[in-house]
Amino acid sequence: MTVSQLAETLSLRIVQDQFEDRHVGGAYTSDLLSDVMANAAEADLLITIQSHANTVAVASLVGAAAILICNDRPVPEDMIAAAAREEIAILISSESQFTLSGRIYALLNGLHPTA
Amino acid sequence: MDPRPILERADLHNHSCLSPCGDLDNSPINIARIAAERGITVMALTDHNSARNCPAFAEACRRVGIAPLFGTETTTREEVHVLSLFGDLEAALSWGAWVYERLPAIPNDPERFGEQVVVDVEENVLGFEERHLITAIEASLEEIGAETFARGGLFIPAHIDRATTSVSSQLGFLPPGRYSALEVTRLPVEIDTRDNTLICDSDAHYLEDVARRSFTFPRDPGEPVFVALERALARGEVTMSIDRSPK
Repeated sequence: MTVSQLAETLSLRIVQDQFEDRHVGGAYTSDLLSDVMANAAEADLLITIQSHANTVAVASLVGAAAILICNDRPVPEDMIAAAAREEIAILISSESQFTLSGRIYALLNGLHPTA
Repeated sequence: MDPRPILERADLHNHSCLSPCGDLDNSPINIARIAAERGITVMALTDHNSARNCPAFAEACRRVGIAPLFGTETTTREEVHVLSLFGDLEAALSWGAWVYERLPAIPNDPERFGEQVVVDVEENVLGFEERHLITAIEASLEEIGAETFARGGLFIPAHIDRATTSVSSQLGFLPPGRYSALEVTRLPVEIDTRDNTLICDSDAHYLEDVARRSFTFPRDPGEPVFVALERALARGEVTMSIDRSPK
């Protein structure tokens, strides 16, 4: 499943649309970027409320497929610009990290319809 | 004539009873008096997200003969602690207002977090800060740095090697950008410090910890302390004294 397919299936809004439509291999949920650096895997979707430019730097470093911002946290302009440079999509949703993690886990593991 | 420089001893990170985690004994006059006894000549008051005890601190330092700096330890959007320091009281109070405008209006719960007490130099209680001061403000590390420099201040990420609320713990790296210095609690530092000057401060929340770490820098006779400090940080002309291991 690609980033755009995942966004469409779960009705996630894409707020940074200049991206490489990468394969989503899994997901990692964390609001501590040092933890993301240590434990996220390449091609993971990063599920977080850390809405700032440094999140893009870490996502790029670990090779994340995309960034999903939860709870409708406002995405600052410098974050969008940084993600466009790195061609990483930024998705956003009004739902929490818990809910989105559950829905994405089910979707990626084919457990049951979640949309 | 070539007058010899004076060696100043600085501790730029201290909390008063305004910080919820700060001991109530940490009145501005108490911390200034004890710092002076322990050889500090330049001291900054840096409560969490508020400069409201800086007026009392200014008078306290005048009484004990310490050169004061004023500012805040601000919690960035990334939940990284950073110091913004000013040589001028009015500039620090204006800075404090900028921070407060971006501080979420979450009431403090003194039972859980401690009182946030505004005092005068005689330790009279002037009031209590109602908003919880520990929370992250609505501004990024980069924005807070830019605003601090625009106001003529010094911008120093705090305790960058600590396991919580530091650039190491929250981000895992030091973002490229402009810093006056980086504050450490021990050496060596594991992350790349990008050629910035390192300093150490006490980060005292209790009287016993005042001046437990400090650094020295040279100042020419007659030169304002803030000017000499800014230059010493820019040139790396500082010597650290890590007297005791951090808790």
